[in-house]
Amino acid sequence: METPFTSTLDRIETLRKCAFLQGLQDKVLDDLASRAEMLWVAGGKTIVNRGGTGSKMYFIISGHARVHHGEVTLANISSGDVFGEMAVLDSEKRSASVTTQSESVLLSIERDVFYEALSTDPGAFKAVIHAILQREREIIHEVKTRSTKLMAYEKEMEIGRRIQADFLPKSVPVIKNWDIASRFEAAREVAGDFYDVFRLNSHQHLAVVIGDVCDKGVGAALFMTLFRSLIRASSLYGNMGSALVDASSGGASITAGEVLLNSILTTNRYIATTHAGSSMFASVFFGLLDTESGELLYVNAGHESPIIFRQNGETELLDITGGVIGLFPAATYAVETVTLHEGDLILTYTDGVNEARNSRGEQFTEQRIMQVAEPEANGTETFLRIILDAVKEFRGTAEQSDDITMLALKYQAHGTLD
Amino acid sequence: MATLNIMVGHAQGNVPVTILRAEGDIDAATHKILQDKASEVIEAGSTHILLDLGGVNYMGSAGFRAIHAVSNMLSETESSGLTKSRHLKLLNPTDPVARVIKTLGFDVYLDIFQDRDEAVNSF
Repeated sequence: METPFTSTLDRIETLRKCAFLQGLQDKVLDDLASRAEMLWVAGGKTIVNRGGTGSKMYFIISGHARVHHGEVTLANISSGDVFGEMAVLDSEKRSASVTTQSESVLLSIERDVFYEALSTDPGAFKAVIHAILQREREIIHEVKTRSTKLMAYEKEMEIGRRIQADFLPKSVPVIKNWDIASRFEAAREVAGDFYDVFRLNSHQHLAVVIGDVCDKGVGAALFMTLFRSLIRASSLYGNMGSALVDASSGGASITAGEVLLNSILTTNRYIATTHAGSSMFASVFFGLLDTESGELLYVNAGHESPIIFRQNGETELLDITGGVIGLFPAATYAVETVTLHEGDLILTYTDGVNEARNSRGEQFTEQRIMQVAEPEANGTETFLRIILDAVKEFRGTAEQSDDITMLALKYQAHGTLD
Repeated sequence: MATLNIMVGHAQGNVPVTILRAEGDIDAATHKILQDKASEVIEAGSTHILLDLGGVNYMGSAGFRAIHAVSNMLSETESSGLTKSRHLKLLNPTDPVARVIKTLGFDVYLDIFQDRDEAVNSF
């Protein structure tokens, strides 16, 4: 086979194409060329492995290769470039993997051979150091460019987070005889939890919503704003022209149960048809509380079961009445009813609470929520803080991987607003 | 790192049924493997898919999104108005996966079977 190493001159010319060796004298290059090994390599072959050891550096005579950490490409290199030299010069482990992208001709040189050849020329080390420094400057420049881009990206993310936070209530309404509190602790990575508490037009009913959009990241955040807005808009303005009346009074007007169901069906159908291709869904608990009677109408669309802590110490779970919303346009939901009495407390939460993990990978679980909860605590703020503290203590040094959202309502004994 | 293997099998019930047997975790890193394999068999003519989850110990929300995407691919020609998919059904989910299916209410949208023959003949 014809090689570029047939004559001394060819050898020197080929090696001189490598920036790394440009400052070396002809006799050093010739010495290196004659003692180096030529390799013909097929495309897709990994020549050096990150974390491995090795005593050879490689010069690309022809072809293309990819410097990478697993799937992440750090650089694309080709004819004239060198790789594997760092581990050879400092005897440390390989800092990256290199895989050929096309059929390539490589020249490999052993560490000892390289040092021996260099030792014959007093200027050689200086030339190699110069080449290494040159490369270091290029890397520093690249890192600077990337970190500037990263800072701009993080700033955008921060703006996004602030806009997202704006979709959560700034405070919960003050309602006679009801003690209401909420907690929202965002995970480091953007997630899609949301909650909402607002009065319906009738003023007798309080809407209580908690939800969790699947997945994490910007997509979940965008869909969170959509789910939350659709639920609020459809329940507040979706029944304009129909006066909301109490279910028991009958008549032609719309009932609270119909408002609730319409809102869930509208939201589900809108997202399942308009955004069918995204396959994004949310688990949602939506309750309409009659703040006079304590009657709570609710739809639980694939969400963690809210827990009712009765004054007598018993607990009840409000299990699902339908599947998650946003996927199947024809999905149906049942509206269930439960009544809260004086002294009863209802806790709604997202899976950031019961699925919080410690460093052993164990989950906090619904059982632990019930164990640590103190529904008789002085106020729902304190009630939620006790659960949150227990979750944090359980988690220990493990990272918070999901948003934590909790919303609690307690029917106070009349006239005790402490 | 999580891995997922999908094996393709066939069974003849009232209609030909393609059985996709998943083994591994279906999460953010692997859900596309399931989606791609389903897309491949659908392009090759499959119209009824039974997804065997007997070898899946973990399924995250990305897995449920993938299942919805597969259901959508199968139902493109079907008129809407149905609550449950007639073209995609699930077989034998493991306990941890069955729990999540129940929590999210996915059993409202998809039929779930424990017995393979019963599942095949239900299409």
